[in-house]
Amino acid sequence: MESLSQSGLEALRLLVTGDRTLWEIVGVSFRVSLTAVLACAPLAVAFAALLAFRRFPGRQAVLAVLNTLLSLPAVVVGLSLYLVLSRHGPLGEWQLLFTQTAMVLGQMVLCFPLITAMCHAALQETDPRAWETARTLGAGPLRAVLTLLGEVRFALLGALIAGLGRVVAEVGSAMMLGGNILGYTRNITTAIALETSKGAFAQGIALGMVLLILAFSLNAGLHWLQGRSRLDPEYLT
Amino acid sequence: MNGTFGLRNIELSYGARRVLAGLDLDLLPGRCILLCGDNGAGKSSLLRVLAGLQPADRITVTGPEIPSPRRVARLLRDRTTYLHQHPYAFRGTVERNVAYALPRGGERVGRQARVEEALSWAGLDHLAKDDATRLSGGERQRLALARARLRPSPFLLLDEPTANLDGPSRSRTLELLHTFLEEGRGLVVATHDPAHFAPVCDIHLRLEGGRLRLAPPVSPPLDRAVEAG
Repeated sequence: MESLSQSGLEALRLLVTGDRTLWEIVGVSFRVSLTAVLACAPLAVAFAALLAFRRFPGRQAVLAVLNTLLSLPAVVVGLSLYLVLSRHGPLGEWQLLFTQTAMVLGQMVLCFPLITAMCHAALQETDPRAWETARTLGAGPLRAVLTLLGEVRFALLGALIAGLGRVVAEVGSAMMLGGNILGYTRNITTAIALETSKGAFAQGIALGMVLLILAFSLNAGLHWLQGRSRLDPEYLT
Repeated sequence: MNGTFGLRNIELSYGARRVLAGLDLDLLPGRCILLCGDNGAGKSSLLRVLAGLQPADRITVTGPEIPSPRRVARLLRDRTTYLHQHPYAFRGTVERNVAYALPRGGERVGRQARVEEALSWAGLDHLAKDDATRLSGGERQRLALARARLRPSPFLLLDEPTANLDGPSRSRTLELLHTFLEEGRGLVVATHDPAHFAPVCDIHLRLEGGRLRLAPPVSPPLDRAVEAG
């Protein structure tokens, strides 16, 4: 068995030498997870706006279900969609099982509750005067909602990044729906699981490092954007 | 479009509490109505109903046709612009905030010219590129007035427009209100300090027990009276 330091050094070598298999796996992870988040985002933001600005019967129940789904295990999503997409399942004809599309679907289900809940929290914090000001200045309901989304844009972006963090790091659903096929559905997390079971830790560690570096870059980018939106604190004087 | 806007039978209750008990009000072009009353008398609620931001339990509009309730809300929003006691500034520059009030579409150069005119009217031209959320209370009030200037609505509803403003900011706001009146726009001003509005006030009303009654004419504040004497 390799020692941790040996594995770490080998991992660095794989990263800097641009090991093709490794970067292919990274590519699958980000293609699938970004697609899932981007496909989910408009729906989640619209649903969050509905929950924040409309009072309708059953709204509290919907919020309770949404919060419960935050702790939905990825394997449960994987299992449920597996049954739906498998040959004898209701959508078996679509032949989506063990494809990237199936992985995207699974990750959409996983990130939807998180993105919706975070966007809802952000929209609830908006100043009621913002809505009224938009309306009294002639904005229709749609433009007023878009204005409010603009007011909390950093919180919304934060929600999307959190959603991406959730799905890019999950393994259960990707494994069950994608099938871990090399060059097609093998992503960072399923590859780590496989390599570890084979005792090949270097690639696992290298992939783990890529995951962390990218998560860090996304968050650092968000902070940078937020920082730029602030001007000099002249208002204190 | 520029005639009197007559509203009748305005009723509003919060639960069991009756705030507006079937009152009538005529908004008049080029006239300033001062609306006084104790805390909680319903001044802000009345303004928000008139602005179409708060649905009334009942409200009718005078005229040849009787519009549906949905149409009334739309009519109120089209004909009035509401200014909060502490106006809200959207994220972004002062200029962008002012441009928000312009109807969408239209030629870019023309829009820019109108925004610049409104900014200079409100004395905000030097702050055009500044972050609007960092403005002082008086500047923010003028930002709201600049936005109102670009709205085509004939009536402005102002909630305590001079509360928390110092003397110079207050006179500046009053000057701007005066130009609105000169241009034929009607104002409704809710306030605790009617004396400050003596120079612009035409009709002084008091809201009590959910109804409006005519109040005695407003006299200017003591310091002004002394100066004038």
